[in-house]
Amino acid sequence: MRTLLKNGRILDPSQDLDIIGDVLIEMDQVVEFGQNVSNEDIEETYDCTGMWITPGLVDPHVHLREPGGEDRETIITGTQAAAAGGYTTICCMPNTSPALDTPSLIDFILDRAASPEAGGVFVAPVGALTKAMAGAELSDLASLKKAGIVAASDEAFPIQNSLVMTRGMEMCVQLDLPVMAHCEDLNLSAGGAMNEGTMSAMLGLRGIPRTAEDIMVARNCLLSLFTGCQLHIMRVSTWGAVEMVRQAKYLGAPVTCEISPLHFSFTDDMVGEFDTTYKTLPPLRTQVDLDIMLQSLADGTIDCIASDHSPYASHEVEAPFEDAPFGAVGLETTVGVTLTHLTHKGILSPLDTIRKLSTKPAQILRLEAGTLKPGETPVAQVTVIDPNHEWTFDKGKTFSKSKNTPYHGAKFKGKTMLTFSGNEIYRDAHFSAERYRALV
Amino acid sequence: MPRNLIAIRHLHREEISELLESAADFKDRVTGNKPIPSIGKKVVGMLFFENSTRTRVSFEQAAHYLGLKTANFSSSGSSMSKGETLKDTILTLRYERLEGLVMRHKASGSATLAARYFGGPVLNAGDGQHEHPTQALADAMTIMERRGSLDGLTVAIVGDVEHSRVARSNAWLLSKMGAEVRFVGPRTLVPIPQHIGMLPGEVFHDLHAGIGGADVIICLRLQKERMQEGMLSSIGEYARMYQINRETLKYAKSDCLVMHPGPINRGVELDDAAADSDRSTIHMQIENGIFVRMAALNWVFGSDEDRSPKSVDKPKSAKAKKEVTA
Repeated sequence: MRTLLKNGRILDPSQDLDIIGDVLIEMDQVVEFGQNVSNEDIEETYDCTGMWITPGLVDPHVHLREPGGEDRETIITGTQAAAAGGYTTICCMPNTSPALDTPSLIDFILDRAASPEAGGVFVAPVGALTKAMAGAELSDLASLKKAGIVAASDEAFPIQNSLVMTRGMEMCVQLDLPVMAHCEDLNLSAGGAMNEGTMSAMLGLRGIPRTAEDIMVARNCLLSLFTGCQLHIMRVSTWGAVEMVRQAKYLGAPVTCEISPLHFSFTDDMVGEFDTTYKTLPPLRTQVDLDIMLQSLADGTIDCIASDHSPYASHEVEAPFEDAPFGAVGLETTVGVTLTHLTHKGILSPLDTIRKLSTKPAQILRLEAGTLKPGETPVAQVTVIDPNHEWTFDKGKTFSKSKNTPYHGAKFKGKTMLTFSGNEIYRDAHFSAERYRALV
Repeated sequence: MPRNLIAIRHLHREEISELLESAADFKDRVTGNKPIPSIGKKVVGMLFFENSTRTRVSFEQAAHYLGLKTANFSSSGSSMSKGETLKDTILTLRYERLEGLVMRHKASGSATLAARYFGGPVLNAGDGQHEHPTQALADAMTIMERRGSLDGLTVAIVGDVEHSRVARSNAWLLSKMGAEVRFVGPRTLVPIPQHIGMLPGEVFHDLHAGIGGADVIICLRLQKERMQEGMLSSIGEYARMYQINRETLKYAKSDCLVMHPGPINRGVELDDAAADSDRSTIHMQIENGIFVRMAALNWVFGSDEDRSPKSVDKPKSAKAKKEVTA
């Protein structure tokens, strides 16, 4: 089986490649790409004129909810949503029930992800740094690594005790595991439902101050600097957090960070009249923060973009604001939001867009992904994106089991058209139609 | 779409005037034993998820004078205590054919949520720390009876502004009607000046400066939990810094009104001399509460031109309902 992705704009940040050309996939591997690709014995041709051909996208931060939260998402539905979003590798978070703190649970995740009904994407589990994410005793990290975790994190239950965090980092240095950290001082944020500011004061909602994030980012950066542990800061939202990361990088600490699309497209005034779809953690901040986020995406201080896909059932979201959960689904909107808000506005070049959606997260988590180079990924991982396709997002037409999103009805420019992970795992209806037209 | 009374900040000056004039008219009729216009036989749900004595009784009295029937519902002994979501409770009351809903709930924004799903008028009787619109109307009516107008008055709201729905509703109402609003209290209990941008008022931390030259002082109730949360060292310390009493009243205008939404912690926010003086309007506020609630009920139902029962006899899908009421 030889498949040709023809006449697209090949964007591969792993080799700083930005050319018009073809990509040839034979069996389940990329065998050739460029301008002089052989076109003999091609069984299937996809006309990619006007589209980007990129390494399969990599999402460092996804909640698949299984085990324990199957009413919100399952590994099957979550990986299908990932494929539809253009992802070929996703990291799943350990805050399941029970938490991913034992090797058998990692085996379970990997088995489910490899099942034929699943979306066909690679799932890279993140293990709990402490047992049950209780912030006290370390998990059996060596066994977890052997089982296949790519990083350790207590995710939604940030470790408050600096000594526990230090020891966790020391162990992860020895095991050569990155630590991922959601940074929040839980005393400062206690009871908070949105950014502490003018909106929270008006709505009478308890605020989450920016200091809750800034202080923990600073602490974790310092611990990374002193232990040498590779630290990945999850979903930054404040200018202070980004400045801490900038400083840590300047000092030589092995620190990286990610941002979710919510935090580069919205500010806290979107909460409006208690709209719970805009309730997220960290909370949406202010225009000053948003401006710094855009600047820091452009200058590279913010390394990558994570969907922070956080599914919740509708009855959980349709609740009083302070009782509603934090987070939104994102796998199927991240490409649209990123291209609309960053690429088309000139904040990121097409190559840097793909760098932040694929190559960089793969490098941070040392995944065999994020490149089109033959033989460097287990199978061909290729995504085709139409950067100019204008579409309206309808939460009723998604693969994810949950519909909690503030983007329902949003107009985007840029859409995933085709996802390859060994073979075709997603093809957009629009792409099929256009391809058909091209063939006749 | 039904008319709701969720928040004073949503109202225009004209709507506030209309409500206050209507309340004065109802007061005249009730106290003068004159006939009260009927707004039809309707059943209003009284949904109190938080304890309330005065607001609940006041709404009951208002409904009674208007000839409305009330259906009581409290969170203990209701399906809410069995784990039903607020949305499902509201939908249940909708299909019980209640025609209006008075609701108090501990969560800010809960009245907004109720209005989204109830389909008929919702009156907010206090939602968390957000708003308590009928209390602000009662306070405004009281000030107008004593001063004739709100325009140009200086009103100091003293105490735990951060956690007070009364403070927010009062600030919106008074500022929309032309008064100057001041928030007075310790830094831990008043939004910091940088966060006040979307609330109409100026922040003072010093009582002397804050009530200097004030026409009206509205004292807020101090919750005991604030000490446990570390926001205040002690009640005594608070009283020494912010209590309205014979001594501190000297800073305000000589005819300054002293108001309190109740229940009062005597000896904390107010001393007996201030609470029981001629300047105190505490009892007027309670009585006027009935008349503004009559005006509020009349206002929300008065807009309901189609007096026939809501179209609940044809159940629609949950999605269709949301579109109708959203």
